[in-house]
Amino acid sequence: MSQPGERAPAASLGLLDATMVGIGAMIGAGIFVLTGLATELAGPAAIVAFALNGGVTTFTALSYAELAAAIPRNGGGYAYVREVFSAPVAFVMGWTRWFTYMIAGALYALGFSSNFVEFVHLYGVTLPGPPVAYALLAVVVLVALNALSTEASGGAETAITLVKIAILGLFVVLGLPVARGAEFDPLFPNGALAVLPAMGLTFIAFQGYDLIATVTEEVENPTVNIPRAILLSVVVTVVVYLFVVFVAIGTLGPERLAAAGETAVAQAAEGFMPSLPVLGTGAAIIAFGAVFSTISALNAVVIGSSRVAFAMGRERQLPAVLGRLHHRYGTPFVGVLASAAVMLVAVLVVPIGTVGKLASLFSLLGFTIVNVAVFRLRRQQPDLRRPFQVPFYPVTPALGIVCNLLLGLFIDAETWALAVGWLVLGGVVYLLLARSGRTDEGRPEPTAAAEATVADPEPIDLDADVDEETA
Amino acid sequence: MSRNPTSDTDYERTGDLRVVVAGGGELGLRTAELLHDRGHNVTLVETDAERAAELSDEYVATVIEGDASRPSVLRQARLDRADVVAALTDDEATNFAVCMAAQRLADVRTVMRTTTTPDDLYAEFVDGVVFPERSGARTAANEITGVGVRTVEEVFGDVEVLEVEIAEGAPVAGKRLDEVRLPRGSIIVVDYQGNRIGGPETVLEPGARYVVAVESDVVDEVLNLLRG
Repeated sequence: MSQPGERAPAASLGLLDATMVGIGAMIGAGIFVLTGLATELAGPAAIVAFALNGGVTTFTALSYAELAAAIPRNGGGYAYVREVFSAPVAFVMGWTRWFTYMIAGALYALGFSSNFVEFVHLYGVTLPGPPVAYALLAVVVLVALNALSTEASGGAETAITLVKIAILGLFVVLGLPVARGAEFDPLFPNGALAVLPAMGLTFIAFQGYDLIATVTEEVENPTVNIPRAILLSVVVTVVVYLFVVFVAIGTLGPERLAAAGETAVAQAAEGFMPSLPVLGTGAAIIAFGAVFSTISALNAVVIGSSRVAFAMGRERQLPAVLGRLHHRYGTPFVGVLASAAVMLVAVLVVPIGTVGKLASLFSLLGFTIVNVAVFRLRRQQPDLRRPFQVPFYPVTPALGIVCNLLLGLFIDAETWALAVGWLVLGGVVYLLLARSGRTDEGRPEPTAAAEATVADPEPIDLDADVDEETA
Repeated sequence: MSRNPTSDTDYERTGDLRVVVAGGGELGLRTAELLHDRGHNVTLVETDAERAAELSDEYVATVIEGDASRPSVLRQARLDRADVVAALTDDEATNFAVCMAAQRLADVRTVMRTTTTPDDLYAEFVDGVVFPERSGARTAANEITGVGVRTVEEVFGDVEVLEVEIAEGAPVAGKRLDEVRLPRGSIIVVDYQGNRIGGPETVLEPGARYVVAVESDVVDEVLNLLRG
């Protein structure tokens, strides 16, 4: 036979694998990097911030579950919003989700580098150069892997995520007996309202379950397993977070935890974890867990961001070249590279606190749109088959909308300014694409115009039949 | 919405179609599966509640439960953004009504299924007519007379045999086969002159047609590579 295909196709995912995709993306940098920063803002009430965020996330997760079970499409929130809303709204959703994954990637890369330096330092080696160099290196390596091969995702994710949970489990089991409840008194040293900015900051730690919605087509028995996987991953993650934050505050105390910043959890572990043979000291184990988690979460968002760019390219909402697979590697090559470029810039120029808040803000906006999509779809298509239905409709998605918007309001003006800047840039891209006739409800003219890209612009046709929604 | 392709001549496009299939019987479901495998977006409309539940478990299309010949149900399938409506129920009159209603509601291409020899005048009203019983009879005749003659259209289990035209600007356009890595489960069988088996030195000329054998789960990936 001549030239048979040789690349392996995507694996199929059971309930456990699908759940681990969600947990793996959520338990990344968030818990390791942001626990200290959240305690700095809210004191011991950081645990309240994590608990409330868990509640807010659950509302939106239910909406995701309803949409994912009814609409068989890869591409996550963007694909559902594309089905339900007009082209501009879908574009805003895709544009912000894409950015969220990229900016989350920057956060994970920075979290990776500071924990990596700490981890190596525990073995007495001081690494040369600034930590940010290692963040850039991590992004470059993972992007190269994902640009050149489709095999970086898949079954290995389950094993990696179980190791993460095991490390955090060890931390909780050893720390729980020595954690002091007294550290939680007073619970609100900075006032109860200080919980809100802490929620805004840590919200990023709860995003990632939506990545399950980008791999739905690979899930076995999808109408049953996808809603289950989404909800299970959120519940497990929230429980793990609450225990970890309780132990971290209860053992180290809020002041010292806040002072430890990005490596707070590792420093807490140093205090009570015994030195184990082979594994090393408590701090080394947690630092290893943090290094491991951030790198796998970074991998997940590199894949996630390129999938959103790919889906938008397929719909011609971004240049079509983003929606093409590479002729040799079979990956959305240009999509991965474009995502990587933004990630690298974000790593270099945006401070870590701002990166976290920016990612949270865009998640909140995107999740608001997803909740609205549930309402709109119920009205537009009352007879649509919904294998999973949001319980207590319309209360649950309404609460999701209100909570997400409320949290968004408590994020500072500087972050909003950056967010608006990215949206304005998106508006320009959108109008340029619409002008050249490629955003007409995703339906291009069946001419060579559809094949042009931004890099190869065609003369702008002022008489172009622009879709009435964009005019 | 004046730019929907309505005739066969300008109905050449790459990328993904939005297709509404009325009738979730065996034909409707199989059609939805094939379209889904090729990366298109399908909405199925099915009257029977039990069957509708089975269809959504297949997870190849969004499923609207209702009678497609009722305009209020048909509108829920979002005709305003659909490219094609295919009426594939086993009732010819229903199919004709669905196509007429669809054309009135939106500017879409229509394909209807007939259950008897198609009326000569159907071509005046709809864009395409399918007559599964006739295709089935052809298959039956092939089977009865033995091997030897088989049409490319026939499907063998999970493998689809497709004739694909390489699109201008597609990822593989102009590349030699040994520069390209297709996914496992796919093979270029015949080169564009139709007189040689595809080999490493075969060049994938844009605009030329190739016969490709593909397993159904990688069809969308292969079509992305060949069609862009």
